[in-house]
Amino acid sequence: MAAASCAFKNKRRLPPCRAACPADVNVQGYIALLQQGKFKESVELIRKSMPFPAICGRVCFSPCQDACSRKNIDQPVGIRYLKQFAADIEREQGRIKPDPIPKTHSEKVVIVGAGPAGLSAAYELAKLGYPVTVFERMPEPGGMMRYGIPDYRLQKYVVTNEIAYIQDLGVEIKTGVEFGKDVQLDTLRNEGYKAIFIANGAQLSRKLRIPGEDLEGVFHAIEFLRHISLRKTVDVGEKVAVIGGGNSAIDAACTSLRLGAKEVTILYRRSRNEMPALPHEIEAAKEEGIKFNFLVAPTQIIGEEGRVKIIECLKMELREPDASGRRRPVPIQGSEHTYEVDTVIPAIGQLPETSCLPSILLDERARAISVDPLTLETSIPGVFAGGDIVTGPASIIEAIGAGKRAAVSIDRYLNGQNLKTGREEEIEETTWVKDWEKITKKPERYTAPHIDIGRQKVSFEEADELLAKTKEVAMFEARRCLECGPCTECLGSDGLCEADKAVVDETLCTGCNVCAVVCPYGAIKKNERGIAQVDEDLCKGCGTCSASCPDRAITMQRSTVVQIVTNVVAALGRESV
Amino acid sequence: MMFRPKIIGFICNWSLPTEVDIASTSRIYGYPKIRIVRVMCVGRIDPVIVLETFARGADGVLVIGCHPPDCHYIEGNLQAERKIKMLKKLISRTGLEPERLRLDWAYASEIERFPKIVDDFRNQVTALGPSPLAGEEPDKNILAEIMAAKAVAGDSRLRTLVGREKQMIEEGNVYNEKVEQEEFDEVMDESIDAEYVRSRIRLLVKDNPMSVEGLAKHLSLDPKKVLRHVVVLRQRGLVALDRIEGEDPLYIALEVV
Repeated sequence: MAAASCAFKNKRRLPPCRAACPADVNVQGYIALLQQGKFKESVELIRKSMPFPAICGRVCFSPCQDACSRKNIDQPVGIRYLKQFAADIEREQGRIKPDPIPKTHSEKVVIVGAGPAGLSAAYELAKLGYPVTVFERMPEPGGMMRYGIPDYRLQKYVVTNEIAYIQDLGVEIKTGVEFGKDVQLDTLRNEGYKAIFIANGAQLSRKLRIPGEDLEGVFHAIEFLRHISLRKTVDVGEKVAVIGGGNSAIDAACTSLRLGAKEVTILYRRSRNEMPALPHEIEAAKEEGIKFNFLVAPTQIIGEEGRVKIIECLKMELREPDASGRRRPVPIQGSEHTYEVDTVIPAIGQLPETSCLPSILLDERARAISVDPLTLETSIPGVFAGGDIVTGPASIIEAIGAGKRAAVSIDRYLNGQNLKTGREEEIEETTWVKDWEKITKKPERYTAPHIDIGRQKVSFEEADELLAKTKEVAMFEARRCLECGPCTECLGSDGLCEADKAVVDETLCTGCNVCAVVCPYGAIKKNERGIAQVDEDLCKGCGTCSASCPDRAITMQRSTVVQIVTNVVAALGRESV
Repeated sequence: MMFRPKIIGFICNWSLPTEVDIASTSRIYGYPKIRIVRVMCVGRIDPVIVLETFARGADGVLVIGCHPPDCHYIEGNLQAERKIKMLKKLISRTGLEPERLRLDWAYASEIERFPKIVDDFRNQVTALGPSPLAGEEPDKNILAEIMAAKAVAGDSRLRTLVGREKQMIEEGNVYNEKVEQEEFDEVMDESIDAEYVRSRIRLLVKDNPMSVEGLAKHLSLDPKKVLRHVVVLRQRGLVALDRIEGEDPLYIALEVV
């Protein structure tokens, strides 16, 4: 017998963009709607899969765009730009206020941490009709979206708006409540919460562990950015050294510049190629005048009267790749050199905050919560965890994906269903183009458009003009989509384009299995009675099974034989002029 | 008046250039060169639909999908190709010219190629002249033949063969036994021949009982062959003995419940 677990794995064939998205956003679908100028429907489609179109449109690392097939012809479609555009154009009509969703379930769910993971889970559960309460330690919800990403990349009103949408659906967010201090796991259970999702993130800065790290004038990036987000000021002086090569390093550097620093240098121990920060962020930072010093690592910070004065560094060289696949930096002996600085901002990573959690939930090194990777269930039944607290510092979109998965698990848990059945998925990329060699390449370099409202200073009149222009630009950009997948079920087009599904007439089916053989998506399987069964999620509505079924037991919901013949008759009856 | 063939084009959603769609529906050319019936994938084209289209008087049927190996539904176009191949063989048994049916490939971006395919096929159909099934008085014999073909196309034997063709030839069965293409084609031809004749017999004896002799004469076939088909049809419970007239048993079709 084949392994039982394999038999239940769902094989999904998705276009590359959607296959790459950790939150399973129907990218091709909303782009198809944008092509037709259906901006509102487009955002609604995004909201079906996640609640943060405007935020992701600005700061997502957009794996969809990296996967886009269009790169084989010229440049990938500017997917992140399109998402931002769709979300912004919706905002143009004022704040969207959805109706609250009636609570059809009585089981209360509590979520710890109002970051992308927690809020996504809350959003999904609220849509299912559960009463959800979110506890947040900080004065405002949003997590790293609010306190980790600076204003010029992600304006705070954007975060506020998208969270307000979730609150309008009926999610209750209580801020200023610290888990492990104000509320405890046990007391929450006693208060009648049936399930809990822990998503308190990775809020601690990793330390350099070099002498002088506790001097005045050393700010760790996460605390530094949080401080600024809380509208507090920091005196960074004139010369700032930022240590690290990630997005936080770039954010801290550009923020320092905005705080009045004259000279900001990023010190990174590897080279430009190994930098984990987003390429366009690195470019933007360079344009703003941030200096980059590669292949250097600090050895100590020297102070004067308790305040940072000098940072001493070693030069590095790159050797063979390490476990992360990046080349390992090795110090060059005797290459010590110093820089004079007023402020040092280490930005070398984040750590999950585990001190507030019961130790039974944590992994051996107490660095993170250990969970079942498929269901996100912890060692305590009814307690789930996801996001950075499980994975270590990752991205917004991955946190959203975790929140969604947790919501499915919690729904199943509360309904007494098996958490695992049918959830294992095997995702395969599909494009209708099978051989890129044969496709004509476009020689001209094409740069995807991008809106950078935070960095451009424009008047309101200019902004209006910009928006009108961007409508055209966006529709053009959307038309560059190759539509790798089949009908995306965006439900936006009239007529045939609406999603079609195969339907089996059980009285006619003889279980010959021809449909399962011809179905390109593996959407048809025989059930325990030997009757063909269509998996509606996998069926893409091509109709091949219906056209092949020996017993004509399969018909399509919309494109029936009768319907097509009716269309034929209508077409034949059309008068020739 | 010049003959302007009525051609039905079953075009896949992804092969149809927008310009052609607009031109067709708004008749920019002055008259529709091709009457488009859009489907999501040509894999949807059931052989029954094509035969019904001919029965309704279309002079030609043009099916256009994406160029293989490309297909938005992975291989719907190749599935269509097998069906059309079978259909052409089936139609060649009837009095209708199989050249009235064509399958071709195009991308939506091939704005020049698309009208070329249409014009080329149009010329071919124009040369064939009007379909015997078009107009006020369709040819009754050919219509009966097409209806018999339609019944075959809707029946399980050929549909199973077509549906399993790829698996039998490329993948093999559970014992990894594969079938050669030539061998498969032979089986297919035999099946088409047999099922088509049986289908004709069924339709002939639908309302008035006939003897084997009478059927053989009508179908211009050897009475022994006809008898063999009648025996199979009786075994399948599709035809029954009605009565004996003189020395000849007369057969009648049974309604399938």
